[in-house]
Amino acid sequence: MDNLNTALGLLVVGMVTVFIILCLVVVIGNLVIRLTNRFIPETVPAGGKSGDGGSAGKKAHPQKLAAIIAAVDVATQGKGSVESIEKK
Amino acid sequence: MSEIFASLTEMTGFGIIGWDSVLMWVIAFVLLYLGIFKQYEPLLLVPIGFGVLLANLPGAGLGIVDNALVHNADGSYMNLLDIAGKHGIMNLLYYALIKTGLLPPIIFMGVGALTDFGPMLRNLKLSLFGGAAQIGIFSVLLAAVVMGFTLPEAASLGIIGGADGPTAIYTTIKLAPHLLGPIAIAAYSYMALVPVIIPAVAKLLMTEKEFKIHMKKMDKQYPPKHDIKHLKTVKIIFPIILGLVVAVFVPSSAPLLGMLLFGNLVKEIGANTSRLAEAASGPIMNTATIFLGLTVGATMTAKVFLNPQTLGIIVGGFLAFAVSVAGGILAVKIVNIFSKKKINPLVGATGLSAVPMASRVANDMALKYDKSNHILQYCMASNVSGVIGSAVAAGVLISFLG
Repeated sequence: MDNLNTALGLLVVGMVTVFIILCLVVVIGNLVIRLTNRFIPETVPAGGKSGDGGSAGKKAHPQKLAAIIAAVDVATQGKGSVESIEKK
Repeated sequence: MSEIFASLTEMTGFGIIGWDSVLMWVIAFVLLYLGIFKQYEPLLLVPIGFGVLLANLPGAGLGIVDNALVHNADGSYMNLLDIAGKHGIMNLLYYALIKTGLLPPIIFMGVGALTDFGPMLRNLKLSLFGGAAQIGIFSVLLAAVVMGFTLPEAASLGIIGGADGPTAIYTTIKLAPHLLGPIAIAAYSYMALVPVIIPAVAKLLMTEKEFKIHMKKMDKQYPPKHDIKHLKTVKIIFPIILGLVVAVFVPSSAPLLGMLLFGNLVKEIGANTSRLAEAASGPIMNTATIFLGLTVGATMTAKVFLNPQTLGIIVGGFLAFAVSVAGGILAVKIVNIFSKKKINPLVGATGLSAVPMASRVANDMALKYDKSNHILQYCMASNVSGVIGSAVAAGVLISFLG
């Protein structure tokens, strides 16, 4: 009976702890995103300026751009970078 | 002359082969068959299966001996040279690498170097479902106590529901090392059966309408409040702060989570630490996996494996797995009652750790009902948080019962 009570207690404590930690994951994640969005200056996206050739006049969609940059980063293991994107 | 022939029979193992050894060989062959030909978790089931075979070779002395046999008369542990001399190299490896709890965190470091927190950071709220899916761990702990397991044994059995091999092994080493073999086998076997278990539970609990909930359309209808403008920077800062906070709240989960987050950090830094990330996710993890598999397999001698507890572990492990999947699905269904932005309950089903297989299975299921409904990145959010959730659950169990 004692063991059963302890097991019940562990169920409650364990699930509450897991949720608290995952709530902290959400809070920390949001906090880091907001702070970086606010305090780190935005870099001009590659090929994003109108009139500088490449994608002149037509900006790449930010999500597509992020996906391309992420893909290049993974494929080159962080060594490569995207300088311009041209639509052919 | 006759003495030489008599000692020849003693030299071979024929005289000491028993029915129990043969049965263990059959179990080893089944594990090898599943790993080699069915490709169920081959990286683990092949070394484990071969370890079982080695441990049950008559007269070879490759099985792991009981903890009591590696103690000196004064109760202290033998040194590693004595263990190797008396009980052979497999025991040296086991007591140096497994009993100390070294290999699971090393593997976690490699897992971290292969993990991308990006999908989770883009869908932070979904990571809460990684918590709901841990209910299998604690509910099977309760059931196992009713079945007659001791609390540490029940906790080791329940942790199978976290669907995370290294976590299950780490917890069992700390709480019930005598059950390590059967629990590791059950954990990895059920992880290999994720493509069967998740669809079965999902079909039981979900309606066709729920299978068709289109996550991207929901995102367009209810877009996130803010974009991530500096994803790379966020990915570097996130594991550092998270590691610090989790270690303060649940210090006993730090060996696993700390190594996971370190592995992830060296991967996210990029070119400057790419050699570390490659080493962690390649040679180090592969070497650790070989020794982990072989030594865990070698714990499964006939004496340890062939008893009623093993059957309880196999049944209990399955229940823990199924309840975890169901817990995740039901949590999403409850949230959907109160929220305008509906979530596909398959996202909850992937709150298990089994990364990325659980997400792939859920994505395939969603695509069967709607070919444009790609939910992989959403599932990965709860899937990756499930790794954190199960490590925290393990930490709680170890702190209370260890």
